[in-house]
Amino acid sequence: MNRRIRSRLGLALFFAGYALAVIWVFTRSTPILTDRPVVIRVAHWQIERGPPDGLNAIIRRYEELHPRVKVEQVLVPGGGPIFRQWLRSNLVGGTGVDLVEFGIWLDGMSDIPARYFAPITKEMLSPNPYNRGTPLEHVPWAQTFRDGLISQQVNAPVPGQFYAATLTEVSTRLFCNRALLREITGGETMPVTLADLRALAGKVREFAARTGRPIYTLAGSRDNAEWLAEFLMQGATMRMSQRNDRNGVLGHNNWDELEAYLDGRWSFRSPEVRAGLELMREIGTNMKPGFLQSQRDASAQEFLRGDALFIFAGTWDGTSLRGLATFPIEVLRYPQPTPDDPVIGKYLFGRFADGGGGTAMEIYLNKQSAHPKEAVDFLQFMSSMEGSQLFTDHSGWLPAIIGVRVPEAIKAYETPWDSFTFGMPYITIGSTIISQVALNMYQLDGPEGSVDKFIAAMEAVMPAAVRTDLRKEISNRLLSVRPQDVQIMALGALSRRRPEDPELPVSQERLESSQIQTEALLLQMNRKLAEAEPGK
Amino acid sequence: MRRWAALLACVLWAGVCLAAAPADEITASWQLVADHLGRDAYVKLDQLAGPPTREQAFAQAVVAIDYQPVTQERLHEAEAVFEQLARGDDEIAAASAYLQARMYQIHYQQQDYAKAVELFRALAERQPRSHWAQLGLVKTGLLLLYALPEPAKPADRIAAAEALLPRIGEKKLWRDLQLQLGRAGTFYEQPLDTVLPHLLAADRVGGLVGQVNADLLASIGELSLRAGHYAQARAYFERYLKEDTYNMRQMTVRRRLEDLAVLEAKAREVKP
Repeated sequence: MNRRIRSRLGLALFFAGYALAVIWVFTRSTPILTDRPVVIRVAHWQIERGPPDGLNAIIRRYEELHPRVKVEQVLVPGGGPIFRQWLRSNLVGGTGVDLVEFGIWLDGMSDIPARYFAPITKEMLSPNPYNRGTPLEHVPWAQTFRDGLISQQVNAPVPGQFYAATLTEVSTRLFCNRALLREITGGETMPVTLADLRALAGKVREFAARTGRPIYTLAGSRDNAEWLAEFLMQGATMRMSQRNDRNGVLGHNNWDELEAYLDGRWSFRSPEVRAGLELMREIGTNMKPGFLQSQRDASAQEFLRGDALFIFAGTWDGTSLRGLATFPIEVLRYPQPTPDDPVIGKYLFGRFADGGGGTAMEIYLNKQSAHPKEAVDFLQFMSSMEGSQLFTDHSGWLPAIIGVRVPEAIKAYETPWDSFTFGMPYITIGSTIISQVALNMYQLDGPEGSVDKFIAAMEAVMPAAVRTDLRKEISNRLLSVRPQDVQIMALGALSRRRPEDPELPVSQERLESSQIQTEALLLQMNRKLAEAEPGK
Repeated sequence: MRRWAALLACVLWAGVCLAAAPADEITASWQLVADHLGRDAYVKLDQLAGPPTREQAFAQAVVAIDYQPVTQERLHEAEAVFEQLARGDDEIAAASAYLQARMYQIHYQQQDYAKAVELFRALAERQPRSHWAQLGLVKTGLLLLYALPEPAKPADRIAAAEALLPRIGEKKLWRDLQLQLGRAGTFYEQPLDTVLPHLLAADRVGGLVGQVNADLLASIGELSLRAGHYAQARAYFERYLKEDTYNMRQMTVRRRLEDLAVLEAKAREVKP
């Protein structure tokens, strides 16, 4: 091949490549020019089966109603390090999405709401315009949620302010492999009490030994064990919480429990906590050895392979489990202890709450959103009766909004109000404590583990961990109250300039009131911390 | 002559527009701040031409407090502006004096509560009816309750903060201090009969919303039960059930009403 042909061939190849790139850009990728001038991006980590379809249904309808607005759904693998790094780096860099899912329990992220999210209290206290013509037409937006956004208010950087709207209600349930249950017991009788579950676990062990199959009562992983631990610990400690309820509000926030620890009102040696730990250890013996090394995907696979009779999971896993299982699944509530239970009976306050306590999949508004009005408008549509119905029908997840029809297939996820909760389980009251519990869980489970070993390990680290978590609470509250001064001044100035607007003084008064409460809390925590410094 | 009149009208109109422009721009800046777009407000205020008015200087200093990254140097500069503006006797002076105190209370890295209280008190002396002075008195109350070294005894701390109540004429702020006096009472484990009057006073003013209101109702009900004021406990628990219909805490309140019924029956038995 001579030089001329080679150079022509090179040129031809270059132009062909260029033409291909042009065709690709104009036909396959996102249009360079959009006919919708406003683009809102909403990100979340619910990449299980269900929620992305639910959200797509909402977006399709919203875009029909608003031809100016384009909504993009951003799926980020979630809850863990990837989501955390993605979220923080984008928010710091000013490239965050307009609306984003966030959970206050995300490790090392407790400063995020105060720094980057904007409150939506004013909108929450007025009716949702998308509920016009429905029974919720005149109901303030916040009160259209099945829980009145109770957890969101408690966890807000400023108590009493609203920062997020939710999309679903979650509960925890036992998912049972009915075919395996029939094979093991010859029937399909589900356990109702904890004693029934213990008896059934005995039969499972017997069956596994007899058949040589590696079958366990509960599919095991660190995640599932943690959910179960929180549930059991919350139930076991209700009487203790009632005893420590200094303010008489019949509930605890995490900072109440941190302060109560410094006051010496509870420790891992408290009999109620010990009972909860004993239950946790007992439950662990019904999972495969080494379960702490695996994550929720592994336990789901174990259950779907037919190697575990039950999986204890949140209803967030329901659509995936039901969609992937080759056997019939029964959804049941976790069997509860009775007053004669040998481990926990004497500490029993009542049935432990296994749902119904709050709505979830919290979507927050980024302070730096270029289109805050449109973003809030989309949030309102998402959590209107119509939006919520679309989400429920297409996701198989419970709705967060009152009056939305629940499909028959997921009625078992609903939690009637027949149980109690006093707030945070004592093992999840701060990110340092959560890490320490996870780090020391091996001392509780397995043949070498014991309740005493776990208690000793935790009590060695708790005083410092509690102080660290309380300091974080203080620092997060400072982060939230400081910018409020600027907001308050702005509302005051606008009130003077627009005396005809009745909303402005109301917003100012509410913000001042919640700031006073936050500052009082902050000062209480500071005082408690100062009193409990080592050596005092 | 008509031409001259038209020209004069144009000049006057342009003058009015020019004079109005900064005020409108400042309103727009305040709106940006209220919409959490402080950075945009900062830029807008920075671009205003001419010598800054008092309000413009005030707005610039306010926005600077939260302009990221916040530095101690910038905070000191803002404080100097507040100190200067606080020398007047108008609304801006009161707001500036309040913010100067707030710098020492929460904005500086090293808080100086004594200095903050001194500034709040000076403002309350100078402009006692100003909203900012009244708000400053509530903040003084909080610092007395928890932060200042003196008085040392909890009961004395509460008494010192209580003494501020007659000087607070704004009902909602009076309510907020009453609520905090009640909360301080439980924090320091004071006798319930000294705590309850504060919580009841806060409830009488009303206007609290959401979780804060629900907590107040549950709290008065529960503390009244513990103090043996059964009728009051019943009234508040029943009100809670009516007003906080979304919270699973309803179950606990119902349980407490059952406990209350037992206690009431016992009390009736004891009575001759």
